[in-house]
Amino acid sequence: MDLRDFEADNSVSCRLSSPVPDVCRTEDCCLGIDEAGRGPVLGPMVYGICFCPVSRKENLKNLKVADSKTLSEAERENLFLKLDKAKGFVGWALQILSPNTISTSMLQRVKYNLNALSHDAAIGLVQYALDCGVQLKEVFVDTVGPAEKYEEKLSQRFPGVKVTVRPKADSLFPIVSAASICAKVARDHAVKDWKFTEDLGRVDTDYGSGYPNDPKTKSWLLKYLDPVFGYPQFVRFSWSTAQTLLDSKAVPVHWDDDEEDGEKAAARQNNTSVLSYFSRSKPAGNTHTRETHRFFTERRLQSIDTL
Amino acid sequence: MAMNSCVTVVQLGSGTQVHQSEVHLLPCDIEHDGAAQVAEFFTPTVKERKHEKTVSFRGRGLKGQEVTHPQGYTGLVLKEVQKPSSDQEDRVVKVSSVFHNFTYWNLETPPTSDDRVMMSMAWPKLAEMMRAPVED
Repeated sequence: MDLRDFEADNSVSCRLSSPVPDVCRTEDCCLGIDEAGRGPVLGPMVYGICFCPVSRKENLKNLKVADSKTLSEAERENLFLKLDKAKGFVGWALQILSPNTISTSMLQRVKYNLNALSHDAAIGLVQYALDCGVQLKEVFVDTVGPAEKYEEKLSQRFPGVKVTVRPKADSLFPIVSAASICAKVARDHAVKDWKFTEDLGRVDTDYGSGYPNDPKTKSWLLKYLDPVFGYPQFVRFSWSTAQTLLDSKAVPVHWDDDEEDGEKAAARQNNTSVLSYFSRSKPAGNTHTRETHRFFTERRLQSIDTL
Repeated sequence: MAMNSCVTVVQLGSGTQVHQSEVHLLPCDIEHDGAAQVAEFFTPTVKERKHEKTVSFRGRGLKGQEVTHPQGYTGLVLKEVQKPSSDQEDRVVKVSSVFHNFTYWNLETPPTSDDRVMMSMAWPKLAEMMRAPVED
């Protein structure tokens, strides 16, 4: 799988796709959706779709695709090659959500949570297939959340398409298994060969599974913690694992939209001037202060006679 | 009564010795006063597309713009040579580096001319005009 388009800028979201088989533009098709890498604190989350004509479901089944989680990495690679060989009737597309996209979305002023992010990625991929002219009739989706609501949302969004949302759909429907293999292979490659944008020299790539409870991941997170910047963009800052470590080991950072005790915020506000580095006790007895023109107050400009 | 009797001495290095530094103004308070791995963590991750600079800090998205100092002005990074032990002593600071422009970063929204920092850059020019003799 060629991830160069993503690696060219792994701070943003990226779409990768196979060519669309001609037969998918003329025959009724089914499409499966699955994700890989939702839980880990490291690396991207990948959304995948796979589609083929409804009449070719049996051919797909014969490729022996299965839920990607039950397969070894080598088996997944192998199955992905088989899917690639079946490009005469199978197409796929991926949406790679970079860890930086996940962090900045979830930590946005107006929070954009992981569920919304996931749903939008899935919807974007189905729309992509439709835009390519794929004759979609059935969509099968794997979900960890409440299936009914999601099914309703997708059905409304794509009238004329029969949407089935099921937990464990990746082991029930071969087309979803196929999507899960594409997504997982991309996620594995992206994590294994992560191109660090930061100038960190040789980075220890022994970061384990990326799941917060993996001891290797934990010790990697400790090793690469910077007291000021926190982490490279490979880490999802919005994960509680990362936040907890930063809270205890990095210097505190305050933003104007932080929810904090009002008094504390006010105390800091009085202290934000660059000149506070040089501040000394203010001279007493300076009672007749002139009111400053708002030109200056609006710009926080003040006249100084000492540093 | 003098407001402050002691003097702050600024030691200027000779022009060629002082090195230029890259300055970033971030929209947050970092409780840290000292060196930071800017060149390792921050600078390489700054992206520039269509005149818009983007970066992230602690997982939050920032948008930035280059701000050039008003003409005739130079930015100085000062370092205290020795902290005075009492109020009566003079302070000595030295110029550790100079800068002629800096990158002003906003949280999620691109900087605009209505932002405080951008607006304040207009003051030197205005002050000059106000002090200039009025011609009839």
